[in-house]
Amino acid sequence: MAKIREGSIQHWILRLFGVALIAFVVVWVPTQMSSSRIGQFSDAFILMIAAMSLNLVLGFTGQISIGHSAFFGIGGYTAAILIKDHGWSPGYTFYAAAVVAFVVGCVVALPALRIRGIYLALVTLAVAVLFPTLVKWKKLAWLTEGAKGIDSVRYEEVPVWPILGELKGREGRAVFTFWLALIVVVVTYLVCRGIVKSRFGRALVAIRDNETAAAVMGVNLTTTKVLVFGVSAALCSLAGVLSTLKSGVVTPEGQYVTLLGSIVFLLVMVVGGAGTLWGPIVGGLVYVWLDSTTRDIGTDTDGILGAIFGWADQSPATLILGVALVLIMFLAPYGLVGLFKRIWRKIVTIVPKPAGTTPPPVDTASN
Amino acid sequence: MERLFQYVFDGLSLGAIYALLALGLVVVFRGTGHLNFAQGEMAMFCTFVVWQFHDWGVPLVLAVILGMLFGFLLGAGVEATVIRGVAKKSQAGVFVVSIALFLGLNSLAAMVWGNLPPEQMPSLFPDEPGDFQRIFGAVWRYEYIGVLVVALVLMGLLFLLFAKTKFGLAMRAVASNPESAKLTGIPTSLVLASSWGIAAAMGALSGSLWGGIVGELGAGLMFTVFIYASAAATLGGFDSPGGAVIAGLSIGVGEQLLAGYFPGWIGQEMKLSVALLTIFVVLLFKPSGLFGSTKVERV
Repeated sequence: MAKIREGSIQHWILRLFGVALIAFVVVWVPTQMSSSRIGQFSDAFILMIAAMSLNLVLGFTGQISIGHSAFFGIGGYTAAILIKDHGWSPGYTFYAAAVVAFVVGCVVALPALRIRGIYLALVTLAVAVLFPTLVKWKKLAWLTEGAKGIDSVRYEEVPVWPILGELKGREGRAVFTFWLALIVVVVTYLVCRGIVKSRFGRALVAIRDNETAAAVMGVNLTTTKVLVFGVSAALCSLAGVLSTLKSGVVTPEGQYVTLLGSIVFLLVMVVGGAGTLWGPIVGGLVYVWLDSTTRDIGTDTDGILGAIFGWADQSPATLILGVALVLIMFLAPYGLVGLFKRIWRKIVTIVPKPAGTTPPPVDTASN
Repeated sequence: MERLFQYVFDGLSLGAIYALLALGLVVVFRGTGHLNFAQGEMAMFCTFVVWQFHDWGVPLVLAVILGMLFGFLLGAGVEATVIRGVAKKSQAGVFVVSIALFLGLNSLAAMVWGNLPPEQMPSLFPDEPGDFQRIFGAVWRYEYIGVLVVALVLMGLLFLLFAKTKFGLAMRAVASNPESAKLTGIPTSLVLASSWGIAAAMGALSGSLWGGIVGELGAGLMFTVFIYASAAATLGGFDSPGGAVIAGLSIGVGEQLLAGYFPGWIGQEMKLSVALLTIFVVLLFKPSGLFGSTKVERV
């Protein structure tokens, strides 16, 4: 086991290696892969954003929410209505959706001021079920176009970007959404990181670990919970906007607009690692990969998997996800990121810089 | 006036089904403090098992009893294997595992029984078009009467079990203080497993009754019922069985009245939303439900 001091040359080389790896993937995917593959990565990015927003509420603050699909839907519908009916440029719809979702998120969190745990989970469950039915409501059809949803949301041909050159046709659209989604992922990550590492973030973790103790320490439970719900909702709506921009449609039965969406966000977050900054990012990639590889199992009866699942009337993809979820809860409660950290710590230890101005003696580092 | 009675009758029968499933949620919550998100899917799965037994030629009443037995084993088995292991680590983990169960059972049911022709789930009671009784001018179908009676009888048995038997006492002891209960010699793990088992068995019954009314089985059979049941459990207060029954029945009656009297604004599509909104408002003013006990936290 090696020991590396934080800020030493070796540490910087490690960091550089990590950044280079990510940069390589990020450049390699849109330039070398087919447009359907690129689309899968965009899907993963959208899931990452939603899972990161859920992570703020559930992973860091410990408030169970299964209502995030509604915030996703709010984002998707806001973008679709503004672009199609009011001729907005897509870029501005991000801000509008974030504002709308922030307000709704704060309102949803209002009962959270007085209720805890299971009751809050049920309020968010109600929100997740309410949103699609509200959108389908006949009296709101002038706005949401009822059960069929809003389709053919078109916007001007994608802009010419300095490095990427002109992006044209379906391929160009796929590459454009890829970069757009990537930018939003980075922004969301930075916002989450900023929150978690700040005073506000410490308050969140304090609430998660012991609500009563946090209140005694002077954390304002009311403001903190409502704010974190609002911010989380706003971030989740960005994922919804992206999804609308990517597919050009949003429907009340859409993939992530119903309760099932909330479950998928939760899955992504848990698989990657709840309460870790990188968890949702890893989870998003793993989920999309797992989903695309397991969906075809059982459709052909060849091979071992065909022999096991050939009898089934339906693909076992969801069953496999469920089993994977249980296994992860048992084997790696902090998800894949937590597992990776545990293994990594056996190989390399990063010794943090001693706090304060006077450096303590060297031998404290070798504990 | 006939319309009013009609809505109340229908609402009571549907509400009884919600209340049965809600009672399952409450039993699990009182026993182990968890929200079982898979309660509805367990019920759905057991209903398919009932159908399967019936398809093999077992008389329906016996099939339902076998299904409830299967439900008991399923619930108890799930608690003893996956839930207990995770509960030691984290409470949010139990919620995640119950979501995994939700997905797994749903998928498994679709895998096993997915491509069958539209299954005719027989009703436990006569459900020919002519099988009804007029009471105060309103049509009360025998099927609905049967559902209400069976549900109420089972609820009564459950209250007897809670209040009068040694097992009920043990359950209450475990719910109020697991450690002390263990020290007094109560087999805690057995009690916890059976509370999940009882909940799943009640789910099986509620699923069979609901399946009989719907007539057709599918993997999404219990989803709406589960939403109503969780609404009922929340409204009644999650630790109060009586509250769950009263709330379940009143939600059933309330939704029928609202959907019946305001067909333009609410109608069949929006009645669920109105029920959920009501609960949202109730929770704002009474955070632990109508009949739930308020917890006082000590620092």
